[in-house]
Amino acid sequence: MGRKKKKASKPWCWYCNREFDDEKILIQHQKAKHFKCHICHKKLYTGPGLSIHCMQVHKEAIDKVPNSLPNRSNIEIEIYGMEGIPPEDIKEHERQKTGGGKVSDSDDDEPAAKKKATAALLGPGPSTLTPGILPTPMGPVPPGMYPGPMGMNHMMPHFMQQRMMMPGMRPLFPAASVAVSTPSKPTFPAYSNATISAPPTTSTSSELRENGDVKPPAANTCPLVTATGAGSKIIHPPEDVSLEEIKARNAKFRPKPKPDAPSTPVSAPPMIAPSTSQAEPAKSASAPIVKLNFQVAAHMSAAVAAARQQAMRRPMPMGMMGMLGQVRVPVPVSMPVPVLPVMQQFNLMRPIQPGMLLPGGMMQMGAMFPGGVPGLPMMQPRYR
Amino acid sequence: MFGGTNPNKDVEVASPPDDTVSALKFSPPSVPQTFLAAGSWDCQVRCWEVEASGKTVPKAAQSMGGPVLDVAWHDDGSKIFMASTDKSVKCWDLASNTSVQVAAHDAPVKTCHWVKAPNYTCLMTASWDKTLKFWDTRSSVPIMSLNLSERCYCADVDYPMAAVGLADRSICLYSLEGKPAEVKRVDSPLKYQHRCLAIFKDKKTKQPTGFAVGSVEGRVAIQYVNPTNPKDNFTFKCHRSSGTNNGYQDIYAVNDIAFHPVHGTLATVGSDGSFSFWDKDARTKLKPFEALDQPLTKCAFNHTGQIFAYAMGYDWSKGHESYNPSKKNFIYLRPSFDDLKPRST
Repeated sequence: MGRKKKKASKPWCWYCNREFDDEKILIQHQKAKHFKCHICHKKLYTGPGLSIHCMQVHKEAIDKVPNSLPNRSNIEIEIYGMEGIPPEDIKEHERQKTGGGKVSDSDDDEPAAKKKATAALLGPGPSTLTPGILPTPMGPVPPGMYPGPMGMNHMMPHFMQQRMMMPGMRPLFPAASVAVSTPSKPTFPAYSNATISAPPTTSTSSELRENGDVKPPAANTCPLVTATGAGSKIIHPPEDVSLEEIKARNAKFRPKPKPDAPSTPVSAPPMIAPSTSQAEPAKSASAPIVKLNFQVAAHMSAAVAAARQQAMRRPMPMGMMGMLGQVRVPVPVSMPVPVLPVMQQFNLMRPIQPGMLLPGGMMQMGAMFPGGVPGLPMMQPRYR
Repeated sequence: MFGGTNPNKDVEVASPPDDTVSALKFSPPSVPQTFLAAGSWDCQVRCWEVEASGKTVPKAAQSMGGPVLDVAWHDDGSKIFMASTDKSVKCWDLASNTSVQVAAHDAPVKTCHWVKAPNYTCLMTASWDKTLKFWDTRSSVPIMSLNLSERCYCADVDYPMAAVGLADRSICLYSLEGKPAEVKRVDSPLKYQHRCLAIFKDKKTKQPTGFAVGSVEGRVAIQYVNPTNPKDNFTFKCHRSSGTNNGYQDIYAVNDIAFHPVHGTLATVGSDGSFSFWDKDARTKLKPFEALDQPLTKCAFNHTGQIFAYAMGYDWSKGHESYNPSKKNFIYLRPSFDDLKPRST
């Protein structure tokens, strides 16, 4: 069983994403590349080890693992070979290897008992296998929580087991856990002729995640904008949809209703003529708002729409009332005062906007807020 | 008026929009004065005259049926095109201060650009309805409609080149010579959602030769259409927190990119509230600035490259929970000719 599962994942370096045929080589690589003291060139065994060495011997603080990817530079995570890699990163790596997002999703359906078994297997595993050299891996580090100082280590196995079973913690899928719990076994000779298949690149952080994300959102799998690395966080809503689309879903930003619209066919808006004729521009302006309810959502998937619904349930900020009428914008003298037909045109198109009807067609900036005119309702969820 | 909350002591534009600025464009060289047009989520497009002193005079405003997503100037400077979530694009004639609809889509229109070719002019619009359309502004039927594989997230036009960035992170390049035609589809050099795109010119020939695209993962890619050397293409990181915040480095979206019309250097603005000036040829940052307390959503250079304008307002990057409508929005102006000079000339 171990052999078959292991074939899926070669040992790889968490710090630089490079793959190795043999975990021994990986460990050598890590010692030489990532755990070497830049002052005395002593090779340490782990990131925290290096950090403590530098602090105690050279009185220097190291905040990043040398030669690591930007989001993998956390010096506090104890990683030795394949041990101690946060399970979500293992999963991402696995997903990237298998080329699709499907593999890792399957474990969601596993019965609880099996999850527990997997977790328990992983917990004590690393520390018992190589007790001599290996400081106990901290294992998965939940976001926002970082392992404490080394002094805590003696209690780790128990602590980890507990934490591994915390609700909400996704278990590893079996392939990954097997790989992790048998770290000191040499790789099978059969694999040794394989070459390094993933040389480190600067943008690897995203490859890990984005594999399954290229497609537009399907019914229940929304792609997410999240950094995989332990050390970085993308400031963006989780959904991989543009900020404008997310913002446009908010009721406040819905296009204004045009009450007489529904009879106008969308497919054939009338010829647009400059304001010589008043009726036609009004008509064409009304054309696009058939099916108002689906206006913004028309291009969105069901999942996105669902997310919007959720967002809609929250309280809506009211605002922009205070600025009314404060800002008067002078129209340049050269601009002729629009004649009455123009006014009618505006009136036809947007009957609820008293601000449009200012004498002489003057534009008053403050008077044209979306529904922000006192006495008129805001764009409330009445269009949902 | 001056300074205020801006740590870089830049000049505030008078009477700024009441919601986040979604589009920011200076008037073309054909008009003697300098005008600045800004589209906003408050459904309005505003126009200011920018005097040489940096003083801004609000001139006029026009509204749309929904939040404005993009604006574009007509090449003669007499009209402004306004793209909106109400699925339409309107042409605002500044002389008469009236607007008529000139384009329609089945979904909100994300971008609009005025195309000025020697033998024709047209308006290019791209939408979340996955189409790219070209209009002659007099007909309700587009001259040409091209299907896109995904929703348009960003686009730029610099005749004879047009580039459109899509939600699936592919970038479609079009040649506008004769008539618009797709030239090639480029796979993105970036792994995260694209947010902004700007075409740059070759330094010697002054012809468009490549583009820069920015993503939500604080990264910009410089991409040549036909790189002489594959190493000419590169990406760089930007708009990320320098230290760590609770053990995390915060990575912010690149909200806009603008190339300096004279020096060919570029400016980026980000959700982190900062703007930076870069030299893509020397691959260096020209000048760092202090971050503002709100995201910067858009930026623009005027045609002489003397003025850099950038807009500050909430960009929704922390979700609707962080939206505070009482926070004022700003547009700032900064003298930019010297700041954007490449270091070694």
